[in-house]
Amino acid sequence: MIKITVNGREVEADPTKPLIAACDDSGIDVPRYCYHPAMEPKGSCRICQVEVSEGGRPGRVMAACRTQVSEGMVVNTEADGAHDARRECLEFLLKNHPLDCPICDKAGECTLQDYSFQEQQAAGRTGEPRANLEKRVDLGDVIMLDQERCILCTRCVRFQEEVTKKPELTNAGLASNSYITTFAGRPLTGNYQGNLADVCPVGALTLKPFRFKARVWNLEKSSSTCAECSRGCSISVEVLRRGDVKRIRPVFNPDVNQWWMCDTGRFSFPEVNDPERLLGGLVANGADLMGSTTGEAIKHAASVLSTSGSKVLIASPFLTVEEAERVQPLAAAIGAELLFVSPDANDLKDDLLHTGDPCPNRKGLENAGFRGISPKDAADRVTGADAAVLVGERILKLLGGFDLGATKLVTFDTTACLASGVEACIATPFYVEKAGTWINVDGHEGELTIARPLPSSVSPLETSLEELTKTLSRTGASV
Amino acid sequence: MVIVKRKQLSFSEKLYLPEILKGMSMTFRAMFKPRTTRQYPEEPLPVNEVTRGQPRLATNDEDGSIRCVSCGLCEAACPAYAITIDGQDTDRNAITIGGDVTEKFIEREPESFDIDMLRCILCGFCEEACPKDAIFMSDELELADFNRNDLIYGLDKLKRPVSQLRPRIDYIYKVNERWQAPSSTR
Repeated sequence: MIKITVNGREVEADPTKPLIAACDDSGIDVPRYCYHPAMEPKGSCRICQVEVSEGGRPGRVMAACRTQVSEGMVVNTEADGAHDARRECLEFLLKNHPLDCPICDKAGECTLQDYSFQEQQAAGRTGEPRANLEKRVDLGDVIMLDQERCILCTRCVRFQEEVTKKPELTNAGLASNSYITTFAGRPLTGNYQGNLADVCPVGALTLKPFRFKARVWNLEKSSSTCAECSRGCSISVEVLRRGDVKRIRPVFNPDVNQWWMCDTGRFSFPEVNDPERLLGGLVANGADLMGSTTGEAIKHAASVLSTSGSKVLIASPFLTVEEAERVQPLAAAIGAELLFVSPDANDLKDDLLHTGDPCPNRKGLENAGFRGISPKDAADRVTGADAAVLVGERILKLLGGFDLGATKLVTFDTTACLASGVEACIATPFYVEKAGTWINVDGHEGELTIARPLPSSVSPLETSLEELTKTLSRTGASV
Repeated sequence: MVIVKRKQLSFSEKLYLPEILKGMSMTFRAMFKPRTTRQYPEEPLPVNEVTRGQPRLATNDEDGSIRCVSCGLCEAACPAYAITIDGQDTDRNAITIGGDVTEKFIEREPESFDIDMLRCILCGFCEEACPKDAIFMSDELELADFNRNDLIYGLDKLKRPVSQLRPRIDYIYKVNERWQAPSSTR
């Protein structure tokens, strides 16, 4: 570590990193388009210009991402010369930018907007017509490219070269006719395409599933943990008008996912926007199921469980640590073993993030004394018992369809099970509607926060489980 | 303490009928005098381009296409939270506004555009925020219905041809010096 002075403050800097990283570490914001801490600095956008003076010489304006720090360097990020350089740079960047912000999905989180506003640089001096490039280039299932909006920072090219190590994008053409394209116009492949839209500092690369779905300033963002594999990437769940989740984006977490997440997790939000979710509860009424409140369903479940012989309890790998603690007394009350469904690893495993294991809280459940069993084994145990309790989000989906036989079934899930023999279904929240903890494959804790309000007819799983345990102990005492 | 004495009625007043006739004659005479009040609703309120009535969405005269690109700026500017917009993808070619093609094509258009007229305070912020000259305060002032849901106006009730809004558009350009666009792009 060496010492440099930034804006009159002495800070420590890592000599292996560029000057802009030292500014970041000391909490000083320097504008950037092409620089990304995960990639080699390229210095193509020139917006990160700061004034640097060394050895008492007068300051010179230079790009902070391509400047190595040296002992005793004096940096002024707010010097007049630096601002002038940034303004000139912005004028060039905006020369061919179409300024279709009202249409662009990036508007609101676009750094081109932010820095233009910050530097008060909007008008250009040239009368030349803007470049005429392709507005809609289809780059596969995930990404749409707008070549006119592109400022050629090449973050996307470097992301594929340096992070996924599968280069598919390139900068073609010369000088002012440059544009981003794929090799031979082939569509993009791989499970990390969504990150291209995140690294793009402007609206050139946009996510097709998010295109024109919402304005970003209307999205309410909450930090959460991805549910699609046992990596447990830190994510931001973005909800429109307290209703549907419109987008999931990675949040920087140096221990788990850095800046990235896979497309499987990114586009998993339809799972939590299920229009056919169960509200309240369902209670068996003769051969049919009848809608009820959760309280009535729990009461019915307790009476069924207290009059049956052998009982099993199967938990979902989506249970949080806190919910697992509430399952333990319930399992003890009905005399069942602590089990959770552990599906086989899927073929999505890769070297970067996806672990291939679809259980987000496997570690947490195993720590709580649960044992993982295959879905087939779980189904066999359910049909072999007199009564079964299935607890947790997506448990019915993980078990798949099976013949219940004479088993009486009580489910806690977001959807209803309509098979004959189902005695009670109790609605539970989706993972974006609860607070809790998941423990990922490496033992890191991932926080879940409430991203949208729970419907009034659904109660938290912890409350439902506690109530069922309490009701059971009361009926047990009376018998 | 003030004591007010009651007026003693005269004989003709006690008879009641002469006084009624006196009153009726006054009424009948007034019926043939010139009217001094506005005969609303038969005679509508006078409106001109300065009237800030209910917001309406402009559609191009050429093909009836909507100018709105659902950017959400009016929604953001609305102090009464009356506007709700959902966008969608469109392949519609940009339309020629006043003979000039202003954009290559419009990628986005509103899927739904709702203004809750019960919330709208007719402040005109939406008109001011709109970057596409798509929403203007019309001269329509009357608002009545039998239930609240029908007063949430959707696209079908909000669309108006731009020629109908022209006086207001011209007025807005006149009073806002910063909106210095050539007349052909209005």
